[in-house]
Amino acid sequence: MTQTQICPPEAVEESPASASRRNFLRGLPVITAGAVGAPLPALAGQPGSRWGMLVDVRKCIGCQACTIACINENEVPEGSYRTIVSTYSVKQPEAAGQPAGTYVLPRLCNHCDNPPCIPVCPVGATFKREDGLVLVDGDRCVGCAYCVQACPYDARYINHDTGKADKCTFCGHRLEAGLLPACVETCVGGARIFGDLNDPKGELSRRIAAAGDSLKVLKPELGTKPRVFYIGLDPRFAGKVAGQGALWNPQLHGGRS
Amino acid sequence: MNPSIVETVNVAREVAWLPWAVQYFFLIGLSYGAFLLSLPGIVGRRRGWAGISRLALLGALVCGLAAPVALLADLHQPGRFYHFYQFFTPSSWMSWGSFFIPVYLGGLVLYAWLAFRPLLAQQATDGSLSPRLARLARTLAYGGLESRGALLAAAAVALVGAALVALYTGMEVMVVRARPLWDTPLLPVQFALTALAGGVGLTLLLKRFSGQPDAAQGSIPLFRALAATQALALLVGAVWLLLGLTGLSPRHAQALAEVAPSAAWRLTAVWAAGSTALTLWLALRRPGSGLLIGLLAMHSAWMMRWTIFIGGQEIPKTGAGFYQYQLPLGYDGLLGIVGTGGLWVALFIALTTLLPVARLNREAA
Repeated sequence: MTQTQICPPEAVEESPASASRRNFLRGLPVITAGAVGAPLPALAGQPGSRWGMLVDVRKCIGCQACTIACINENEVPEGSYRTIVSTYSVKQPEAAGQPAGTYVLPRLCNHCDNPPCIPVCPVGATFKREDGLVLVDGDRCVGCAYCVQACPYDARYINHDTGKADKCTFCGHRLEAGLLPACVETCVGGARIFGDLNDPKGELSRRIAAAGDSLKVLKPELGTKPRVFYIGLDPRFAGKVAGQGALWNPQLHGGRS
Repeated sequence: MNPSIVETVNVAREVAWLPWAVQYFFLIGLSYGAFLLSLPGIVGRRRGWAGISRLALLGALVCGLAAPVALLADLHQPGRFYHFYQFFTPSSWMSWGSFFIPVYLGGLVLYAWLAFRPLLAQQATDGSLSPRLARLARTLAYGGLESRGALLAAAAVALVGAALVALYTGMEVMVVRARPLWDTPLLPVQFALTALAGGVGLTLLLKRFSGQPDAAQGSIPLFRALAATQALALLVGAVWLLLGLTGLSPRHAQALAEVAPSAAWRLTAVWAAGSTALTLWLALRRPGSGLLIGLLAMHSAWMMRWTIFIGGQEIPKTGAGFYQYQLPLGYDGLLGIVGTGGLWVALFIALTTLLPVARLNREAA
C-alpha cells in the first residue's frame, strides 16, 4: 500500500506539497476513511515546483532504513549507496557521565543549485531539471567518472551494472507518481522532510523558516548551494570529518566480469 | 587524526579513475615531453641533437599512439567515445581535451612521417630488410623526399597540440575543487615538469640501447636537460610546501592538511623529493650511460601520477581517515598496467622493425 492511496484529504490540504513519515503516522487514524475514498497524491507537484529536503539530524536514529529502502527502490548495486547514514562514535566530556555518544548523519545527493558535477561532464549528460533535480542522462553518459570526482559530497558512483554514473534522483520516478522518495517514506524517526521549496505554505518551507540560524548545509564554503538542508548539524561533521576511518572497504571494480 | 571521533558506519568509495588513467597521463606526458626533445635536432638542426631528436620522436610516437587506448579503457562506456564529438561541452576541460588529443596526435604522426620519410627510403634500399618489409618501407616513404616546409608546418601543429594537451591534462585535474590535493594551482606545472623529465628519461633509455658505443658522450645534452627538469621540480615542490606551510595559499594549505597526518603520505613525499634530488645529483655528477637516471626520471613521472590519482582518491571527501586501495590483478588493475606496457612494446617493435634505433641514432642521416 502506498501513500498515494492512503493519505487523508486533510493532510493534503494542509500541506499540499510537503510530507514526511510523521505526517503519514499522524494520518493513521483516518486511513480507513481515506482508503475508501478516491486516491489522492501525497505530493502534488505543481508547475514551478522546486524539490528539496530537510534532514532533522536530531530525529535520526541511525537505523539505515532509508539506506535499505533506497537500495530496494532503485536497484542500487552491491557496495554502492545513493544514501547512507554515516555513524560516528564521539568521545564525550567527563561531565557527560558516559564515555561516548553516537552521532548520525544521513548523506545523499544535495541536488545543489550550483552543482560542481554538471560543468565537468564532457558530454553534457548530467543536468539540473527545472524542478531542481540533478540527474544523469543514461543514454549519453560515457562513464568517465569526472562527475564522481567533482562531487564534494561523494554522492555519485559508477554503477557497475550499467557502466554509467549514478546517483540519488530524489526518486524522481516516484515524484511523478505523486509519491515521496523512498528514503523519506521509510524514515522511522521522521527525520527527512521532503517537499516543494517554492511552496511557502508547505511543511518543508515552514520548517525551514522556523529553523532560523540552526539551518545548515554541508560544506557551505564551496558555494554549491545544496538543496538538502540540515537541522542539528554539528559543525565537526559539516565537511570532511577529522577522525578515525571506517573499516568497510568494498571494491567491485574488475570483479564483475 | 582526531581520536575523539571514530567512524563506525560508513562506506569507502572505490577509486573511479583507475590505473588506466595513470597510464594515460603517464604516456601522453612522456609523449609530449619527448616530442619537445625532437625539435632541436629535427626542426632546429642543432649540432649534436640529430640522433637524440630522432630517438625522442620515436618515443613520442610510440607513447602517443598507446596513450589514447589507455584513456578509452578508463571510460566505463568506451564504445560511446564518439559522444565526446557529438556533444561538445565547453565548460568541461575533458571535453576540450577530446579535441586537443587529435590535434596533437595528428600533428605528431604527420611530423614523424615527414621526418622519417628519407630514412625509410634509405632503409628500403640498403638491403637490411626482407623484400616484403622493404616494399612496405618504400611504400611508407612515398618517394622519400624531404619536405622541409611541410615538416615545419606539421611540427608547428604538433607543438600547439602538445601545449594544449599539457594545459588540459593539468587543468582537468586542477579544477576538481572537491579534492583539495588536486585543486592546487601548481599541479599543472608539476605535471608538465615531470612529463618533460619522463620524456628525457625515455630518450636516454632509447639512446642507451641504440647500440652506439658513444651513447654517454652523445647524451650530454640530455643529462643537462634532465638536471634542469629535476632542479625545477624540486623548486616547484619547495614552493608548494612553503605555500602550504605558511598558509599563503589556502588551497595549498588545505591540500597539505589533508595528507600531512598520514605516515604513508609523508614517506611518499620524502621518496619523491629524495629520488628527484638523487636524479639531479646523478645527472650532474655521475650520469653514467644514462640508463639509471633515465629509469629514475620515468619512475618519478609515473609515481607522481599514481600518487596524485590513486592516492588522491584514497582521501575521503566527507568520511574520516583514509581509504585503502588494493591494486586488483585484473583488467582494472595490474593487467591494465601490464597490458599498456605490452601495447607500447608491440608498437615499438613494429616501428623499429622498419626503422631500427641504430639508424635513427646516427648523427648524419
